[in-house]
Amino acid sequence: MNIQDKYLKNKKNIFFSENKDIQTHREKLINIFENDGFDKKNNESLKNINLKNFIDFEYRYLISEETSVVNNNQENSYSIVSVNGQCLNFKDDKIEITKILDEDYNDFSKNNTIENNDHFVNLNSLFLNSGFKIVIKKNNNIKIKISNIITDDDLTIFQKNNYICEEGSSLNLIEEYENKNNSTLNILNVIKLEKNSQLNHLLIQDNSLNHSLIITSHSSCKKDSTYTQKVYNFSEGYVRNFHYSELIEANSEADLQGIFFLKDNNTSNNKTFVKHLAEDCKSNQVYKGILNDSSKATYFSNTHVDQVAQKTEGYQLSKGILLSDNASYFSKPELKIYADDVKCSHGSTIGPIDENAIFYLRSRGMSKIAATKILISSFINEELNSIDNEQMSEIIQKKLIRYLSKVK
Amino acid sequence: MFLEIKDLSVKIENKNILKSLNLNINKGEVHAIMGPNGSGKSTLANVLAGKEDYEILNGRINFKDNDLFDLNIEERAQEGMFLAFQYPVEIPGVNITPFLHSAVNSKRKRMNEEEIDNLSFAKLLKSKASDLGINIDMLKRSVNTGFSGGEKKRYEILQMSILNPDLAILDETDSGLDIDALKIVTDGVNKLKTKENSFLIITHYQKLLDYIKPDYVHVMVNGSIVKSGGSEIAAEIEKDGFQKFQ
Repeated sequence: MNIQDKYLKNKKNIFFSENKDIQTHREKLINIFENDGFDKKNNESLKNINLKNFIDFEYRYLISEETSVVNNNQENSYSIVSVNGQCLNFKDDKIEITKILDEDYNDFSKNNTIENNDHFVNLNSLFLNSGFKIVIKKNNNIKIKISNIITDDDLTIFQKNNYICEEGSSLNLIEEYENKNNSTLNILNVIKLEKNSQLNHLLIQDNSLNHSLIITSHSSCKKDSTYTQKVYNFSEGYVRNFHYSELIEANSEADLQGIFFLKDNNTSNNKTFVKHLAEDCKSNQVYKGILNDSSKATYFSNTHVDQVAQKTEGYQLSKGILLSDNASYFSKPELKIYADDVKCSHGSTIGPIDENAIFYLRSRGMSKIAATKILISSFINEELNSIDNEQMSEIIQKKLIRYLSKVK
Repeated sequence: MFLEIKDLSVKIENKNILKSLNLNINKGEVHAIMGPNGSGKSTLANVLAGKEDYEILNGRINFKDNDLFDLNIEERAQEGMFLAFQYPVEIPGVNITPFLHSAVNSKRKRMNEEEIDNLSFAKLLKSKASDLGINIDMLKRSVNTGFSGGEKKRYEILQMSILNPDLAILDETDSGLDIDALKIVTDGVNKLKTKENSFLIITHYQKLLDYIKPDYVHVMVNGSIVKSGGSEIAAEIEKDGFQKFQ
């Protein structure tokens, strides 16, 4: 069944099917799929992906009886359990959580200028069946932890979440993706940071073999705001991390970092893209990967500096350790600079573990396996030390130890 | 015999480096090997430490009644062999103190000795560092990372004094050191010398041997030892160079 037939068959269960504007937008998307198909050669979002699983999917969605919970367990601290992409409405004087509305959909589809040729985001828009919107009210300092739970096998969750940090607010957001079932979660986080706001976003991904996670974020930063994202991918199943950021007003910052730990035949596709559209903005894009066995990864990073974005500072780095001859990691950093007063750099180093360092450590009495493990840990030491949440740091350390226990 | 190298021939990438090399070192002796660039001195040091890039064509090495080729790199270290590197490797993110602590305990474990606890190790490290004029702040850093040439060599000697090896191989430890640093490093070596341990010192210059007095000096040319004797050979080399041995 092609995409159009799948959409028509399930239209009733898809969000905002009755909204005319949205219908028109979706018709355009269907046309793109029908006309362009899934042309790997000309669409970066499709490169090195086993598309079959994602085109030939059977649409299936369930609203869970287990209602999601918002719990204010400490002052300014909230725990949310999102079940199959849904979350209960909640409101107090600091935050407001609502179901995603058609106006949020339209806002994204009309204002998304950074990348509108990402087929997985287009699939998300077409089959949208869940999602919520969280607003952090002006000048509040909030912590939120979200556990993203999928309840059943063979579900296809297309979820769109909106986060809005109002002026002067600060949000520490931790998201956990730890699902053990045979389902696919395609999630788009649309993040808006108003003037002088901050969002520290930590994503921990640890899904089992048959669970696929396609996660995309679009963040936009206004004056003096900062978006920091740290992704830790320990999943045994497929994960796509594509994260786009726009610095739309002066003195704003985007810091997109990720580490992935792959083994067996697993694949992970990663992309970060920062668009500098105002002056005096900074961006940082750093991804590191450790690949064992026959695992494969890609990482595209891109800094685009508009001609008005003078005094831009943009930094890109990609590093990878290949623990096996059969592992592969393709990295492609890109810079497009249209302003003349900028500081930008990019670098990429991928290779096996440093044999001289192994020899040095072994010559002091350390076993080869211990030396390998210590070098892997040191490779990501800076990122691990930068986690300021002690509990999360311990969780990530445990997952790292579990990964290292399989390294021979 | 403490270390016995018999008829050793080694090649790397189709190039023969060591050719029927013989060398015997007894317990408590200090041996120096001098030779021109490319004569195979560092290859010998690396082969002794177990570096796997080399192909052993012929010969045998016995160390403390073990066939050295039966031991892997870490087992040689745990048996008491130590190589002070000519170019110590920078390892960012690996902190010096826990690394050295783990190295000490791996050796103690092999010797069936009780492992040393954190506090005792910290005290030991502090005292040895102080003897070598190493700033305590340096011990909080990553292995060799951002160290100057002199700091790297001093840190090698610190590791040596902590691990207290039976056979220490110093591969051109004097290279890149100014006279003050050379004095500190050689003082450190001299303090470690006992009747129970041995040293193999590899160098180009006599200067190092003014501070560490060798019992034997060997001249190595083109992969073989061509002359052995006392410290008078070092003086001869200083005066006339290696030309006459080639």
